[in-house]
Amino acid sequence: MTRLSFFSILLTAVLGVLFIYVAEDIPALGDPDSPPIKYTFLFSVDADGAEKELDQGVLPSRVRETLQKRRFPPSSRIERIPNTKGEWVGYIEKEEPRYPKEEKYYHLRLEGKKLTVFRYAFVVRWIEKGLEETAVPNMVTYGLADYRGYDTLGETTVIFTAGVSVILLLRRRGRLS
Amino acid sequence: MTHPNPDRNIIVETVCRVMIPFVQLFALYVIIHGAGGPGGGFQGGVVLGSSFILYIVAYDLKGGKGRLPESSRTYFSALGLYIYAGIGLLAMIFSRGAAQFLNYGFIPFTSHFTENRALGMDFVEIGIGITVMAVTASIFFDLAEKDEEPDTDPKG
Repeated sequence: MTRLSFFSILLTAVLGVLFIYVAEDIPALGDPDSPPIKYTFLFSVDADGAEKELDQGVLPSRVRETLQKRRFPPSSRIERIPNTKGEWVGYIEKEEPRYPKEEKYYHLRLEGKKLTVFRYAFVVRWIEKGLEETAVPNMVTYGLADYRGYDTLGETTVIFTAGVSVILLLRRRGRLS
Repeated sequence: MTHPNPDRNIIVETVCRVMIPFVQLFALYVIIHGAGGPGGGFQGGVVLGSSFILYIVAYDLKGGKGRLPESSRTYFSALGLYIYAGIGLLAMIFSRGAAQFLNYGFIPFTSHFTENRALGMDFVEIGIGITVMAVTASIFFDLAEKDEEPDTDPKG
């Protein structure tokens, strides 16, 4: 077995494991509240007494410490989501460098005796903030050309490269023949 | 009176003569309205490129070369990318050192940040459309050309 084939088998195995690992989190199709669509899981802590603090708008100290340890921005304001039993929204402050406005950042949920902290997924911001941030009503377009502008630039480059390759291979006359 | 192409089909030619302007108009519509409705640069560019392909299929390659010469095909395929990256570079210049590449809001098209973003997106879509049109047509032209012209060069 040559060195190259050994490394290619290793790479294939690693990629396969990675895909299986990622696919574990794929939810049932069409569920709008599924974690990858609505929010991403961060961590969970013990919840004794946290409900009262959260209802008063105070972040429990255990949650705050863990957030600081993981270098997440601290939550400035907490609101209970109406018509739920034990779900809160954590907003972050205006001064956070990448978020000039105050906005929804954390989703806290009471599950039994555990308080689980989620972070709102980018998809949520995409849907909620897109129109007011870009003044374009079409979600696909502002995703394609604005939020994912680098990606589209790369795609256009790929198409250009394909065209240039065909030109180089098939236009026989000239310097390159 | 003899036509240079004796195998021509009157019905196909007439239908294409009627259809091609509308196809091109629709392509421009798709590109310009990419921000508001379904569509965008990629789709409009492909439709615009395929209108040239339709012309070649219905008529002949020589006429197609007259409509879209080789030099302009090559230039246009790069021009779209230049427009796209140039808009990004403009944003970088106008953001004054913040290096906001492709953040169209900083380009002063209008006085509103969000409107600038919408307009920047439109220009970017036009750039994508030009590149995709030129590349689609270019690939087809190059493939068809090799079939038509026998290799006269003995060296190949």
